[in-house]
Amino acid sequence: MADIKQVVLERDLNPYHSFFSSFFAGLAELGMINQGSINIVSKRAADYLYSYLEAKEILPDMSAVPGNTTTEVARNLILYINKILSLVGEYEFKDEEDGQAILLITGNTCRICPKGVGGAEVKGTLCPIPSLVESMVNKIAKLDLLELVNSGIEKEGVTCKAYFKVLNA
Amino acid sequence: MTPSIATQLDIILNDFERNVPHVQATAVVSTDGLVIASRLPAEVEEDRIGAMGAAILSISARSGEELERGEIARVLIEGSEGYILIRSVGEFAILVALVERDVRLGLLFYEAKKCIQSLTEVL
Repeated sequence: MADIKQVVLERDLNPYHSFFSSFFAGLAELGMINQGSINIVSKRAADYLYSYLEAKEILPDMSAVPGNTTTEVARNLILYINKILSLVGEYEFKDEEDGQAILLITGNTCRICPKGVGGAEVKGTLCPIPSLVESMVNKIAKLDLLELVNSGIEKEGVTCKAYFKVLNA
Repeated sequence: MTPSIATQLDIILNDFERNVPHVQATAVVSTDGLVIASRLPAEVEEDRIGAMGAAILSISARSGEELERGEIARVLIEGSEGYILIRSVGEFAILVALVERDVRLGLLFYEAKKCIQSLTEVL
C-alpha cells in the first residue's frame, strides 16, 4: 500500500473515509467479507441512505433533474450521490454499446476503497460503489434505470470499471 | 463444438446431484463471493449463497491458519434440517452444496472430490 500520508492528502480524505475503508479492510482480511457480501450490504446501505436524504429533505426533485436520455439522468443522479457522499475525485459515466453504460473511476482518486485507502491485503475486489450507485440511482428515480452487469468492478491499470445495463431507455 | 463453460459447469453440477441422493442445491462461486454457476431452488437467493459460501470458507481458512490447523480441506455445517458443504475449487472458486440430513456423508465427500476435479478442469 502507498504511504498513508500520501493517500490521505492526494485523495483528500475525511476521517469517515479513513474509518470506512480501514474498517472494511479489516473485515476482509479476516475473511468475513468479499465482493459478493459488499454488494448485498451496499444495497441495504442505499436503502438507509435514501431514508436519511428523505429525512433531511435533500433528495433531488426528479422533475428538475436534467437529461434527455436515461444515461444523462443517471449521470446527474450519480453526480448528486457523489457530491453527498464524496466517494471519488475523478470519474466518468457514459454510454457503451449494446444498451450499456460504463462508470470509469480513476482509481487513485477513490476515497473509500478498502484496498487502495484501507490497505486491505486480499485478492479480488472489494468495491461498494457499483451496487451502491445502482441501488441509489434506482431508488431516487423511483424507477429502475440501471442494472449492474457482472456484479462487481474490473480494474484496468489505474481505472476501475463498472458496467450497467441501461433500462427504460 | 465444445459446449460453453456455463453448460459444462451445469452438467457437472447435475451429475453430482444425480450421483448423491439428497443433494438439494449446488453452486460454483468465485472466491469474491460472486456466483459462477448454480442449480438452486427459486426460493434460495443466489447472491446470498455466493457471498456467504465464500465468506464461510475464507474465514475458515483464516482460522485454520491462525490456529495452526493447516490447510482447510472442507467446511461442513450441520443444521437440524441438513448440511452445507463448502470446498475450494482450485485457487479462485468454491463449491457450495445444500444437502438433506439423510445423505451418506462418505458418498457426499467422495462425489464432491470427483466433482471438484471436473470443475477444476473446466475452470
